[in-house]
Amino acid sequence: MTDCGCDKAKAELEEFLHNELDAQQCQDIRDHMANCDDCSAEHLVGLTLTTKVKEACQEKAPDELKQLIVGAIDRLDARA
Amino acid sequence: MATMTLERPLSTRTRSRGAIDTQAPSLDSRLMTDTTDELAERRALFQEQALPFMDQLYGAAMRMTKNPADAADLVQETFVKAFAAFGQFEQGTNLKAWLYRILTNTFINVYRKKQRDPYQGALDDLEDWQLGSAESATSTSSRSAEAEAIDRMPASAVKDALQSIPEDFRLAVYFADVEGFSYQEIADIMKTPVGTVMSRLHRGRRLLRELLADYARERGMTAENAGPRAATTRSTR
Repeated sequence: MTDCGCDKAKAELEEFLHNELDAQQCQDIRDHMANCDDCSAEHLVGLTLTTKVKEACQEKAPDELKQLIVGAIDRLDARA
Repeated sequence: MATMTLERPLSTRTRSRGAIDTQAPSLDSRLMTDTTDELAERRALFQEQALPFMDQLYGAAMRMTKNPADAADLVQETFVKAFAAFGQFEQGTNLKAWLYRILTNTFINVYRKKQRDPYQGALDDLEDWQLGSAESATSTSSRSAEAEAIDRMPASAVKDALQSIPEDFRLAVYFADVEGFSYQEIADIMKTPVGTVMSRLHRGRRLLRELLADYARERGMTAENAGPRAATTRSTR
């Protein structure tokens, strides 16, 4: 058990979320969260935020744009 | 969408300049001198490898320019530049990050001038408390309620919130949360130290959280559970 305590966990939750910590640091935070509802809840907010932002930002390029770009690249090619 | 497996230097906190720095290509004399075969091959490779990122780049361009017409122009310009420079792209390195670097460069050089945000430069220098650092939800139960409220939020509200935070914060959040780039990759794309990336991300996410909490509160989405929180006046700037 290497519970890192609330202060360290809170400070590093964002890096934990973004997969920026090494294995030991991740384990410390997981150990801490297993015993701390508060930090677990905070992590859940962060995770939910990431998921929502990711979902909300999915876009599809319009078909005309795709054709335009393929055409532009063909023309560049043709110059040679 | 497929997420690429990215090699992420775990505790590299320093910027590695040079190695992966991509400048906008000088519309390459090489294009003129390459043989037709080489060009055809390069074009086929480009179409196969780079064009599949178009939807993603368009999504990023939408968050950058905030409108479909400019986003389309930006993406087109990005692909034309990328194709011209594709001969210099080192196969086996991270193509997605390379394309995002060209996209971001182009955006900053061309579009940002049009819609210059005069406050951005100063924002990085502000202390947290000056940004209106309201400590977020205080109790575990209100945090759970917050997560639930965010989860139920319509995509349009999330996009609006993202759209209204300062540009550099928005891009950092987009690169990390939507594209899954590592902090080091974001630092390379935004040409800024990793520490600045972390600060922009942290502040951007906090602002988003506050905006979404406001949205939820205005619509009574957290009314039953968020007792202590609802009473807190928070400044969102």
